[in-house]
Amino acid sequence: MTDTSTSLIRDAWKAGGTGEEMIRCETVDKWFGAFQALRQIDLVVGRQEVVVVCGPSGSGKSTLIRCINRLEKHDAGTIVVDGIELSDDVRNIQEVRREVGMVFQQFNLFPHLTILENITLAPRQVRRLPKDETDSHAMELLERVKIPEQAHKYPAQLSGGQQQRVAIARALAMKPKVMLFDEPTSALDPEMIKEVLDAMVELAESGMTMIVVSHEMGFARAVADRIVFMADSEIVEVGTPEHFFTDPQEERTKLFLSQIL
Amino acid sequence: MSDTNVPTSEYRPQASEQPPTRTTSPREWVRLNLFNTWYNSLLTVVLAPLVGYVIYRALRFVFVTARWEIIEVNLTNFMVGTFPRGELWRVWGAIIILGLVIGLGLGVTSRASAETARARGVAAGTSWSLVARRAAPALLLLVALVVFVRTATPLLLLAAALAVAAGGYVAGRWIPPQHRRWMHIAVVAGLAGSYVVMTQFGGVNLAHWGGLMLTVFLAVGGIALAFPVGIIVALGRRSKLPAIRVVSMLYIELIRGLPLIALLYMGWLILPFLLPIGFPTPGRTWRALIVLLVFTAAYVAEIVRGGLQSIPKGQYEAAQALGLPAWKMMRLVILPQALRNVIPALVGQFISLFKDTSLVLLIALTDLLGVARRVTQQPEFLGQGLHAESLLFVSFIYWVGSYWMSRESQRMEQRLGLGER
Ligand SMILES: Nc1ncnc2c1ncn2[C@@H]1O[C@H](COP(=O)(O)OP(=O)(O)OP(=O)(O)O)[C@@H](O)[C@H]1O
Ligand SMILES: [Mg+2]
Repeated sequence: MTDTSTSLIRDAWKAGGTGEEMIRCETVDKWFGAFQALRQIDLVVGRQEVVVVCGPSGSGKSTLIRCINRLEKHDAGTIVVDGIELSDDVRNIQEVRREVGMVFQQFNLFPHLTILENITLAPRQVRRLPKDETDSHAMELLERVKIPEQAHKYPAQLSGGQQQRVAIARALAMKPKVMLFDEPTSALDPEMIKEVLDAMVELAESGMTMIVVSHEMGFARAVADRIVFMADSEIVEVGTPEHFFTDPQEERTKLFLSQIL
Repeated sequence: MSDTNVPTSEYRPQASEQPPTRTTSPREWVRLNLFNTWYNSLLTVVLAPLVGYVIYRALRFVFVTARWEIIEVNLTNFMVGTFPRGELWRVWGAIIILGLVIGLGLGVTSRASAETARARGVAAGTSWSLVARRAAPALLLLVALVVFVRTATPLLLLAAALAVAAGGYVAGRWIPPQHRRWMHIAVVAGLAGSYVVMTQFGGVNLAHWGGLMLTVFLAVGGIALAFPVGIIVALGRRSKLPAIRVVSMLYIELIRGLPLIALLYMGWLILPFLLPIGFPTPGRTWRALIVLLVFTAAYVAEIVRGGLQSIPKGQYEAAQALGLPAWKMMRLVILPQALRNVIPALVGQFISLFKDTSLVLLIALTDLLGVARRVTQQPEFLGQGLHAESLLFVSFIYWVGSYWMSRESQRMEQRLGLGER
């Protein structure tokens, strides 16, 4: 295991949750042309752990979690998800994507399908489960995010908060082991943020492994096991919420916290 | 189903808030729309007699002066061209087979869509007036044909075909969901069966097909083939493999740079020499179909590419993140949305293909328009100037076909527009 330059980042190697390793990123680099979006990223996430990633705009937060399910291809280093190392092998990628659910800032529901069809599409097409089974599982998930009555509507007929909860249900329908969230509440009106955060808190309490890019510090304080602070394409500081909020070590962290709190 | 927490749920204004209904008497309407300003009054006064006169002349021609016997005498020519008269039973056989499978397909899809609508809690069911309006163009054509038919046999056979189609429809609605996939096989088998009846076992070579039959064969065949080929080329143009991308692009740019007539001549005169020696040269009709397909597919590809570009990146990412393999992502998520966005342009392309089939008369095929030209040169009609009658008749058929396609496209747009953002 490589030693990192500052002791602060050493927390990056301490998997939380059950202590069992779920995701390992080692010296990951990512370039967009001549611009380096990720520089020497080291991070281990434990089973059932909740990690919140924050940092200024353009610091590479989205890029980091998008590398974990191969929406972006990393250029150097290794990423291992549940024992599967991401490589160019398509079957490898498909296998990882089946284990990893993702929720986007813009919901990205399929507008031509009903809510129920949105949720059952992947289980039926990828896992090849029978319709009655996927339908009843989908209804359970909709109960869980508290919108069972919307099952037969189209996404455009729902409010933003409802759409995002459907997006969470859709990702959960594949029974993933890890959930990635990329600023799930930033596109929502303030009165809808809570309903989505409630669903995420419930998910965290159920023992899901989660990486959440978010600036919702209340959420981070309540459910995060660790908080990762990124700036300028690097991980600057990793720590438990107590340490992070009460005793930040780095100047960049202090500056960031003073701006958003 | 409770909608209590849906902000978009239907808002019902109170009785007192309803807008006042206004009724205008015809007199009022005329005053408001035709004589509301001095210049509109002037326009009305000048144009009304003109429009009236044109309508009067048109009606007078159609119902009084026109010598429709040229159509009556040649109705079989208009329908099938020079198709051997002794083999006409083959055409009727094919029509009845096609009627059966089309009816079956319609029955199955109508029940399936009714079931989906019910599952989604949408009010389903079609009113009779809607069905009548959908069928109106076809009925109009039917009436025109019946007027010109001089013997009872074709009427009886037509009625038989319609009855078989209706039977197929009823059977289709009766088929339980788990056996629905057989419908596709039945439709393909029906197409193949009708082709066999027409051409095999002493049947008639495609070179002798003509009239409306040839036009429909070229149009339907061209559309049914150009659609999938166009989609494949559009996907090829966005392929990650440079070779496929370049070939698709060359194909599109080359074909779009050539007039259809030039392509038809090439298919007629040059294609046989380009084929490897010993390779059987397809008949003239097949070559015409291939040219129409190749030509239309290039335009379809560009239209579909436009549709693909209208799909936001997030849709691809969401599908990928769910683990859908690339082709399922395309088939289930991207293409349905992309195609829905370009229905009007696609149908426009198909309508123009339908009318462009008339260009095959330049390569010595006798399609519907070709027959219209020929019949005026028959000995008994030569030099009598009956062009208007025959042209009007075939124009009417082209118009009915085009209008029907345009109406169906609007209907499809409305139906698929359900999930509009
Ligand atoms: N596809 C791309 N092509 C080129 N540059 C990109 C691409 N995606 C991201 N970048 C760049 O990489 C950097 C990091 O982007 P990223 O989206 O990861 O930031 P972020 O931390 O998520 O920011 P935000 O809070 O605004 O979402 C940015 O400077 C961005 O401009
Ligand atoms: Mg981002």
